[in-house]
Amino acid sequence: MARYGMVVDLKRCVGCNACVVACKSEHNTPNGILFTTVLEKEMGTFPHCNRVFVPVLCNHCDVPVCAQVCPTKATHKRADGIVFIEYAKCIGCCACIEHCPYHVRTLVQDNRMLYPDGTTAFEKPVAQQILNKVATKCDLCYHRVETGRLPACVEVCPTKARVFGDLADASSEANRLVKEHGGWQMLPEKQTQPCVFYIG
Amino acid sequence: MLADRDKVLQGRDVWVPTVCAGCYNCCGVLAHRVDGRIVEVKGDPDAANSRGYICAKGLVRALDVHHPNRVKKPLKRTNPEKGIGVDPGWKEITWEEAMAISVEALQKVRAKDPRGLILSHFDIAGYRLSGAFGRAFGTVNMHWNRADYCGSASHPAWLITNGTLNSEVDFPNCKYVILWGTQLGHMVNTISLSASSELAEGRRHGHKLVVVDPFCSNAASKADEWLPVKPGTDGALALVMLHVMVNELGIYDVPFLKGQTNGPYLVKAGGHYLRDEATKKPLIWDAKDGRAKPFDAPDLADPAIEGAFTVAGAAVKPAFQVVKDHLLAIDVEEMSRICTVPLEQIRRVTREFCETASIGSTIDVDGHTLPFRPVGIDYKRGMAAHKGGMNSCFAIHMLNLLVGAVDVPGGQRGVNPIGPYWTAGMSSDGLIIPSDFIAKYNKPYPGRKASIPQTLDLQELFPVALFTRGLYPLGIDEPEKYGIPYKAEAMIHGRTNHMMNSHDPAAMAETLKKLTFQLSIVQFIDETAEFADIILPDAHDFERWDMFPANDPYAFIAPGPGEWYFLFRQPVAEPPGDAKPWTEIYMELAERLGILQDIYALGNDMWNLGAEYKIDPAKKHTLRDIAERQARTIFGSGFKLENIKTTSASVLRKKTIQEAYPRMFLPSRVPIYLEYLLDHRTDVQAVLDKLGFDWDLSTYSPVPHWIPCEAHAHGGGFDLIATNNKVPTHQFSTTTENMWIDEVARANPYTYHVMMHTSAAATRGLKTGDLVCVESKYGKYTGRLRVTELVHPESVNCSGSFGHWAQGLPVSRKKGVMHNALLPKPTLDRIDTLSGQIDQCVAVKVYKVGD
Repeated sequence: MARYGMVVDLKRCVGCNACVVACKSEHNTPNGILFTTVLEKEMGTFPHCNRVFVPVLCNHCDVPVCAQVCPTKATHKRADGIVFIEYAKCIGCCACIEHCPYHVRTLVQDNRMLYPDGTTAFEKPVAQQILNKVATKCDLCYHRVETGRLPACVEVCPTKARVFGDLADASSEANRLVKEHGGWQMLPEKQTQPCVFYIG
Repeated sequence: MLADRDKVLQGRDVWVPTVCAGCYNCCGVLAHRVDGRIVEVKGDPDAANSRGYICAKGLVRALDVHHPNRVKKPLKRTNPEKGIGVDPGWKEITWEEAMAISVEALQKVRAKDPRGLILSHFDIAGYRLSGAFGRAFGTVNMHWNRADYCGSASHPAWLITNGTLNSEVDFPNCKYVILWGTQLGHMVNTISLSASSELAEGRRHGHKLVVVDPFCSNAASKADEWLPVKPGTDGALALVMLHVMVNELGIYDVPFLKGQTNGPYLVKAGGHYLRDEATKKPLIWDAKDGRAKPFDAPDLADPAIEGAFTVAGAAVKPAFQVVKDHLLAIDVEEMSRICTVPLEQIRRVTREFCETASIGSTIDVDGHTLPFRPVGIDYKRGMAAHKGGMNSCFAIHMLNLLVGAVDVPGGQRGVNPIGPYWTAGMSSDGLIIPSDFIAKYNKPYPGRKASIPQTLDLQELFPVALFTRGLYPLGIDEPEKYGIPYKAEAMIHGRTNHMMNSHDPAAMAETLKKLTFQLSIVQFIDETAEFADIILPDAHDFERWDMFPANDPYAFIAPGPGEWYFLFRQPVAEPPGDAKPWTEIYMELAERLGILQDIYALGNDMWNLGAEYKIDPAKKHTLRDIAERQARTIFGSGFKLENIKTTSASVLRKKTIQEAYPRMFLPSRVPIYLEYLLDHRTDVQAVLDKLGFDWDLSTYSPVPHWIPCEAHAHGGGFDLIATNNKVPTHQFSTTTENMWIDEVARANPYTYHVMMHTSAAATRGLKTGDLVCVESKYGKYTGRLRVTELVHPESVNCSGSFGHWAQGLPVSRKKGVMHNALLPKPTLDRIDTLSGQIDQCVAVKVYKVGD
């Protein structure tokens, strides 16, 4: 069975945030909710210092704590490895938000994208409408992946810093990159076995 | 209503290929229209500049189309008082009424003196239209826009050497890249998508990147080495590097200097070339037979670039020797102290650069053996926007020139100096001249004849500049002082925001108030449009046809190997309300002013129209019609715009090797010694004498100097130098009004903050989160402090030009800060007398005003 995941090449990422906005556009997320961000971590002391750009998103863990604590099974791991929230089943209890070690989930307070005057930006057709008072997060663009397309953040990246693929397939580029470059996962001590790997 | 609306691609759910104008790069995009509404944007995989990618600025443009604050109807000012914070009392009027008022005002100006009209649009694809409008109207005052932001000092350095407007680096082959005051390849600057792809690939393959910048920008963060130079001292650093290269390491490309530059041209005491008496051609010393010969003598065997000779009793030296001697006199320790980069580090970086240049190595491409110089330096506004901008640019560029890493594989390269229908020329002195297609009226070399200004931007006092548009306020405010025989009366304005992008807004407000009539064609009522008398609603660029191609080839087709691709901008949807593309509004104004036929006649000359595609001035032509004629001129008579349905890119053919790497195929040479400046200096001095001005013209030097900025002589407690940086999510001051971009900016720890080094903050008792005032002698801004290691300790930094205050910009109001508020209206000690570049750094003090 497939185990969809992503390899993020920190050597390539320039912190341009195209992925962040592509995701925003793809899911038409409400004000203030970003499914993926690029963290900027300041390292070192002047003049031997820089910012490290670290794209983060739901890790789509093999052992997803969020799914374990979900009382309604709104959050569950699909057969292809995507950790998915079925908004219609979510009661907004926030157990998943409290337990996610990566802080990638948000409770939707207002599911609209509003201008300061209260006007809605625009109604874009999306795969799954985000509802009010539900937990939300990256869905690895399941609707694109199912039809053989790349997640929006991957497709848009001009530096090819995000590589999507089947980590279980030894011939996939994602699998190869993890092996070749010694890919690492966020917070391995949590034993969640993230499907997002970092290299570079 | 949009012209040719019946030709907009049809369909309920359709992806329309067009060209993004989120910045100037003209990336190919596909815009998704569902039930008549634009809902998303993606990259066009078949457009070679964007390759299916698109940046954050481009993606968000679907949102801009639907912004509730877009102007949709013509508006008339009812409050005659103009000023910051003054309510214009906008009243909605009909299109007819707005046109009638505008045309009457413009006719009055035209009858008095047409030069009283200023055209102020920043829209590169539209320059050829606004340029024709201006000429037909009779004004010389065109394209007042954000140029003081940009490359007044850097473009001339490329035009006189690469023979073209813009510069880039052969990233796929370049093993040692230096980005100097620029973030090329980091989703800003030109060719941003393909350059970013290529540079990322290079990083993966171990290519080295060095970034020179007072702020640890995105580019500096990705660099192997960051050289945090003190603002405005880049020229000092470059001179040390040149000295190390030439006099300490002795590594330079001798065959290149002999054969491809004016390095061997003999120079007399006083600096002029030694010329052949009969032909006036510059002479070269031929070491083979020990005599001087014209530079193009067929029997020239071994041009000397070093030594000293006597020719007809005159003591002469080759230009390269003059450069070498000049560099020998540089006090490297002092220059290193000034730029604050340790001398040993400068020596090491220079050595790495010189050694990686692999002088003598060659590469075979398409059956030609070419020099392989895998090093290149690109430089731009960050280092150029200073008092001695052009001198510093040329000093930096000489590092490329002396190792022969110019327009050959691996090196720095000009963006398409030659193309399918243009080519670089050569002066009588044998030096490269850009094609008329690239710079027709304003070539920095050979330059123009200095004279009493007739143009409000004073360009006549800068005969070797490309443009001096940042100086418009001087000519508008005090024409008589500069000998200008008329006054500014009216302005047609759009797509540029002078109040935000220039200097102290209070001073700019006084300038704008001098205009008796301002017509603003805008999508939003920004700070400059607040001074308008009439506002007309502009279309979004996804709602308009444009001239062909949208991507001017000398700037926005990726240089180097590849294809000639031309992009077509077509509307995805119709503009809302009464909105029309500004280009169509210009045409409508022209018709009502009775100058439309004159525009057509000029266009036949200016719009690259083949003989069989010239337009009939007696008939009316839509922009689409003109664009189709332009496209057929390039692609032939079978070309139809209606067939552009899946990609906006049309490929003409593969580039030849001569087009991809032109240097070794060009008959012209490249200057390393700017002899032509000497005569221009004399001319300028004579004009200044007539005007009674005392300007420092030491900038007109054949060899580069470092010239301090006003900010370096700070006192009175102004103990830091303020600069600003560019972030990849923002373009000018416009992107902050986009909610998605604003969201990303708010989540970023730096974008909307004031950055100060840890040590500087500690001295002042400041901490992250403090509300601080940054104050210069001329203005101030207030913002939240971010204490960081990422900024030079003697500098304070902020991003972009933010901090809007216009009522019409609800998302961006009061977000971030505006560096330009610190700057005065340009004064002589802040203007590069050579290029007209305005210094953008300024001495400030920083103090706490709140928690």
